[in-house]
Amino acid sequence: MEGVKLTVALIIAILLQWTLRNVWPPLTFIDFPLIIVVYAALQRNSIRAILFGTISGISMDALSGGLLGANGFSKTLVAYAISEITRRVYMDNLILRIPVIAGACFVNDLVYYGLHRLFGQTPAGDPVTTIAYSVIGTTVAGTLIYLLFQNFSGDRARARTQKRREVFAPRRQTRRRNPIRLGK
Amino acid sequence: MVERSQEDVWRLAPWLMVALLLGNFILMAFDAKVEGGERVIRAWTQTVADFVQSPVTTVTSSVSNYFGSIANLRSAQDENGGLKQQVQELQVELKQKEELAAENTRLRSMLQLKEQSKYKVLTARVIGRDPSAWFDSAIVNRGSLDGVQLNMPVVTDGGLVGRVTAVSPLTAQVDLITRDKSGLGAVIGQIGESNALGVVAGTSKKDLLEMKYVNGSTEVQIGQSVFTTGQDGIFPAGLKIGEIVNLVSGSATTPHQIQIMPAAKLGSMQEVGILLYEPPAKGQYEQKLPNAVKKN
Repeated sequence: MEGVKLTVALIIAILLQWTLRNVWPPLTFIDFPLIIVVYAALQRNSIRAILFGTISGISMDALSGGLLGANGFSKTLVAYAISEITRRVYMDNLILRIPVIAGACFVNDLVYYGLHRLFGQTPAGDPVTTIAYSVIGTTVAGTLIYLLFQNFSGDRARARTQKRREVFAPRRQTRRRNPIRLGK
Repeated sequence: MVERSQEDVWRLAPWLMVALLLGNFILMAFDAKVEGGERVIRAWTQTVADFVQSPVTTVTSSVSNYFGSIANLRSAQDENGGLKQQVQELQVELKQKEELAAENTRLRSMLQLKEQSKYKVLTARVIGRDPSAWFDSAIVNRGSLDGVQLNMPVVTDGGLVGRVTAVSPLTAQVDLITRDKSGLGAVIGQIGESNALGVVAGTSKKDLLEMKYVNGSTEVQIGQSVFTTGQDGIFPAGLKIGEIVNLVSGSATTPHQIQIMPAAKLGSMQEVGILLYEPPAKGQYEQKLPNAVKKN
């Protein structure tokens, strides 16, 4: 069920990425598919994350003026790296996920730019400015989206159930000794 | 559905990653090699995307038009008065033009001149922009079913926008002239009056072009307009590219360094015109050149 939810989220992210720039150009600095790819990688399912990375990357490249496969390459690499880190380091806290999404966006942009330079193409605009805006935009949007996910996903429900259990946990009754009989 | 254990997943993941990275790399290499050819994956993805992009663009443009029309109501009364006066003036002018047109037809028939067929203009709406922050291509709602073909020039009322680089049945992708890979034959001033010929190429900077190979001894000034020459075999002659905004004068041995601001508003265009233009066939001698594109 979690897989279906994430797939739907990925499709929505790709559609948003395709359309939002025409609505308001600065929204192009938010990489919606990357946010979902990183989230999938944080769920410790490497295969799903890698596949998400390739599919979302190629679907972005297909409508872009850049090289076909450049986004697919960078997102696949980022997905694998994060899923490997998540295997070794505890990342279930939202605060810890903020630097992860920022780092992922930075690496993704850097690899994407590097690949284009490798194939003799120069993307438009200043790379430092574009990467900086992209990292800021994606991190802010990613944090908000993860908060939303936390509220609606199984994590939150599990946490709520656990909290309820703690609140209404049956207290252990200590047996009192009868003070009258103590003297005996 | 086969349930994999966590260990299986961890064992499979690196191999899958390597395979996918390799696949992406091959795609990139192939795409970089066939720069001018038909791109099948792009064309079909555009067709799928069109079903989402078109409705979204229609809704957003109608919403912005609604608010725009409310904002414009204030100035509508003054504008109405001015327009009425302008209509009267134009009616007089139209009468004169009709007389001139009739005279022109009469003279043409006398001289037995054949009507020169120019290209048709197909209006198109920009339904999508590049989803990546790194590039500036646009997607328009006209495709091969409307007669659009690869490399057809795209213009706005301001000037040249770019050329078609991928065509699907319903949509087409347009690469802007500001892209670093673009290049077109250009002349400063009107063709036939100026000999300041050169090549206009995109830069990595947005909204800025550069003109190369202009003879340093030719007189060039800031503010002069630059037009296409039609010598590149893609764009017809006489389309306005932009105006010179920066100039480092050359000498008899070094060319001018010229920067051009595009005439078309590339960042905010909503509607464009696709010129259904087919360039004249290349001469036999050009086909024999070692770097010429061979036709099967």
